[in-house]
Amino acid sequence: MRRLELGHINIKDIQFGPESKIEDGVLYVDEEAVKAIVLEDERIKDCKLDIARPGESVRITPVKDVIEPRVKVEGRGGIFPGVISKVDTVGEGKTYALKGMAVVTAGKIVGFQEGIIDMTGPGAEYTPFSKLNNLVVVCEPVEGIKQHDYEPAVRFAGFRVAVYLGELARELTPDKTEVFETYGVMEGAEKFPGLPRVAYVQMLQSQGLLHDTYVYGVDAKKTLSTIMTPTEIMDGAIVSGNCVSACDKNPTYVHENNGVVHDLFEEHGKTLNFVCHIITNENVYLADKQRSSDWTAKLCRLLDLDGIVLSQEGFGNPDTDLIMNCKKIEAEGVKTVIITDEYAGRDGKSQSLADADVAADAVITGGNANQVIVLPKLDKVIGTLDYVNTIAGGNEHSLREDGTIEVEIQAITGATNETGFGYLSAR
Amino acid sequence: MKKAFKIVTNNPLVKETLENEYHIEFVECSYEEILRKVRNYIYEGYELLTHPLSGSVKPNETPYKSIMVSEKKEKLDPRSMEIIEYAIQSCKKFQFKSDKYAPEVYEDFQVVDLKLIESAIPSAIF
Repeated sequence: MRRLELGHINIKDIQFGPESKIEDGVLYVDEEAVKAIVLEDERIKDCKLDIARPGESVRITPVKDVIEPRVKVEGRGGIFPGVISKVDTVGEGKTYALKGMAVVTAGKIVGFQEGIIDMTGPGAEYTPFSKLNNLVVVCEPVEGIKQHDYEPAVRFAGFRVAVYLGELARELTPDKTEVFETYGVMEGAEKFPGLPRVAYVQMLQSQGLLHDTYVYGVDAKKTLSTIMTPTEIMDGAIVSGNCVSACDKNPTYVHENNGVVHDLFEEHGKTLNFVCHIITNENVYLADKQRSSDWTAKLCRLLDLDGIVLSQEGFGNPDTDLIMNCKKIEAEGVKTVIITDEYAGRDGKSQSLADADVAADAVITGGNANQVIVLPKLDKVIGTLDYVNTIAGGNEHSLREDGTIEVEIQAITGATNETGFGYLSAR
Repeated sequence: MKKAFKIVTNNPLVKETLENEYHIEFVECSYEEILRKVRNYIYEGYELLTHPLSGSVKPNETPYKSIMVSEKKEKLDPRSMEIIEYAIQSCKKFQFKSDKYAPEVYEDFQVVDLKLIESAIPSAIF
């Protein structure tokens, strides 16, 4: 049996102060110390820190990543293994998470950089990150740097800041503790003999610059489909290098707090046996898709699963991986539910996905990313509005003279997340 | 089995970067026209090797697209036909704004398209 205790350290506010510390639920941030951590990377010329709180008239854009600070208190390894901490298997022992807050990295990487987080108004209802106290790190590149050199600089800066803040909680007592227990394949089968054997199959975006995900530091496009203990992701075993498709990419925060993993644990030992977490990629080369989906289906069969939940990441190309996985896993006799989102046109009448099959007969949608929304002018912008007219879902008329913005909800970070980590619902 | 390939592209940076090493077919045309050109190849018996909607930058948002197909004609591949038809259909869902950007943004789109197709090359080479 493997056991992870996840302690919640509730953060009700963030303030700048002379010393970084957590006191009475307030995170005090030494601005200069955090800046120094960001500027350790010579590819970053400068950075500005800001705080955005729920309900404030603040718009953060363009957003790169959202990260929840965590610290490993007991057990093997550290947070973000293979990326910030040394490579070691994580997912056991004790981890503390700073709940109610996030580190948001922002600033230009490419000229069509995406992602809006509104802290109030109608836009706030579409992004789960509007409900967090956000420490925003706006980075600026050194002159003349290439996009592919700069993207990892901002990616790593966010993780370094998150680990620094997570460490502040090491000696604290959590406000709440969740316990997650997983079993070996045989052990679980013996413990829950009557329950259906269910796994989570997570597809990871893995196509190249701005479209990459890392597993224990390895570029997911170079991996074969594999198995993880479902608690590993809670210690940062999977991180985002993804900067496009704001609405349906998985920021690192979503990996750390993956709702499918969480909800399957809720039912673990009650209505189902949560056997494992299977990860697979979404490469550009079609034979890679063939191989990865073959392996996913093979793993589902080898594990004698009865059912799986399959989540997608991104638009277009991954629709094909989604359908290949679904079709092959169903063909192995394993019932499959898919979670996706839709690009059904502004009127919602177009074909939603770029692929389809009759085996995909149980589908959960995160919403129609082409849906149009008007965002009001907000008092403060953290980052820049320079890219609002060019982001996906916007056009040259998006930023209107009165300061309002008309965009499709695909421009909003997390709006139609394909792990279900969002607010759109038919309930 | 890995296949000899050519890259059909409207991205000048793909041509400039890769043409000395690989067979690049450069055409000055729109994103959607690249998809239609590749569809014609598929119907002639060429095999589609990379996904036509590679990347999450949307059709009509980026003007650039590079797609890998087999160097030689083979038998008609129904799956390739299905994927390219879905891809062409999806273009109409997005507003056309490929001609609305500042000059430096085009370079960014070119780089991203180059990196997407480059990510397929290690899987494709012998």
